[in-house]
Amino acid sequence: MTVPEKPAPLAAVESSRTADSGPQTLTVSVGPQHSGSGHMRLIIELDGDIIVNAAPDPGYVHRGIEKICEVRNIIKSIPVIERPAIIDSSNLNHAYIRAIEELQGVEAPVRSQYLRCLLNEMNRIMSHLYWLSIFGVFLGHTTMFMWPLGDRELFIDLAEKLTGARITHSYIVPGGVRRDLPQGFADEAIKRIAYFEKRLVEYDKIFFNNPIFTSRAKGVGVLPRSEAIAIGATGPTLRGSGVDADLRKDEPYAAYSKLDFGIPTRKEGDSFSRAIIREEEMLESCKLIKQILKDIPAGPIRRKAPIVVPRGEAYSRVESARGECSFYMVGEGGDKPYRVRFITASFRNMSAIPVLLKGGHMADMPTAWWSVDYWPVEADR
Amino acid sequence: MSLSQEREQALIKKLKDRFPSEITEARVVRRSRPEILVKPENLVEVATFLRDELGMDHANGVSGVDYNREARFEIIYHCSSLQNKETRDIVMAIKESIPRNTPKARSLISVWPGVDNFERETFEMFGITFDGHPRMEKLFLTDNWDGPPPLRKEVRFPTD
Repeated sequence: MTVPEKPAPLAAVESSRTADSGPQTLTVSVGPQHSGSGHMRLIIELDGDIIVNAAPDPGYVHRGIEKICEVRNIIKSIPVIERPAIIDSSNLNHAYIRAIEELQGVEAPVRSQYLRCLLNEMNRIMSHLYWLSIFGVFLGHTTMFMWPLGDRELFIDLAEKLTGARITHSYIVPGGVRRDLPQGFADEAIKRIAYFEKRLVEYDKIFFNNPIFTSRAKGVGVLPRSEAIAIGATGPTLRGSGVDADLRKDEPYAAYSKLDFGIPTRKEGDSFSRAIIREEEMLESCKLIKQILKDIPAGPIRRKAPIVVPRGEAYSRVESARGECSFYMVGEGGDKPYRVRFITASFRNMSAIPVLLKGGHMADMPTAWWSVDYWPVEADR
Repeated sequence: MSLSQEREQALIKKLKDRFPSEITEARVVRRSRPEILVKPENLVEVATFLRDELGMDHANGVSGVDYNREARFEIIYHCSSLQNKETRDIVMAIKESIPRNTPKARSLISVWPGVDNFERETFEMFGITFDGHPRMEKLFLTDNWDGPPPLRKEVRFPTD
């Protein structure tokens, strides 16, 4: 595989159009105003309506989180770490805390491990629903914008009951979690999940089995298996290309080794595969939440952990809604880390975008682009 | 998954057998986390061996660390394998140390194309140039950024 070249700047393209020889292409800039690109820019080079080249131009929502982490103590950094993906905050929070605990040699109590998984799975559903609403609206399907955003409130309310906050929970802390299950939570959650599972059947009817959608998504934006692996794609983007990789199975953390769930995988590598996988994952997450609420053992939810990053290095990773989220942390014994390297799934999947857009029609760009669930804030950090 | 570190030790042994002098340090930090320190001039051949012979088919990330008190940068490539289900948990860290006054390293883009954006980020944040990378340009920083590479330790945070 070759690395795609950056398309020529606009001025150069203009002059090439007036020249007598050479291919005549047009460079268009999609974004960075959120015109369907997310808070970033895609530079697309077109020959007619065929995409010859596409290059992501990120950085418009860069916050310098890695630097911020170097000047704050580890607890103060928790809300910052969550910001890149507020719709999936607990998964990023979890990966960060696991790196700290690895350095400290602290193991969180079993009950807190289950609670972490509970919130992680709720976040996975919330994140997928948010993605689905955006995916729907950019395909012109307004119902698919309204329904998932409405149903997402089911889980946001639950998360608020559990953690006190709707989206940025700061729930996972070194040594455990902040709060225990509130009274009546399990009954309420099971009722809501039963309702949500029925809603997913409706989603199938109106969207996933809708010929207008399938004809626009099948065979569009194909990412071949070998390239998905080589460029380091991750999460549903990788699983849509036929690799059944999921860290919850491959490197089980927290309580996942004790839970039973499947890894939806598709071989086609097209936009439809990436989309349907997320719907199937929501069902698996519902299954996981029910199991967790049934099996969760009694016991403490938090163990004392010092506000210290011991000297050493740690590398931790979890399966966030978009794929692998990893932390490489270097400690030198103080309350602040010496270095925090924060790699998110969107950052990795950024490399997939040029591959799956190239050769496609410009009109198919929104389908292919949104099927990756690239979250610019998460990529920029 | 067993709790022993046999798989990690076997991996390191294969590497040490093949590159006795090129790999200067090798250890298992903890389960699933082997790491090696490679001489910068041999980085590409070691990475190619890891990919072709040991199944490390993709890079999970590239990290830079500024050890300014020791006048050096460390570049860490984390790589792992998807082909073999039994070893998917293993993340190998390949480290190289380069002097702070000549921040030049060799790119691994020919081995793992996925390091493209990671190396560009390390370039803009630390000012380390990667030889062999076709597009050593800024990624996240604005085009008119003329300050020092922000993740270097001498760049102080306003509230620091």
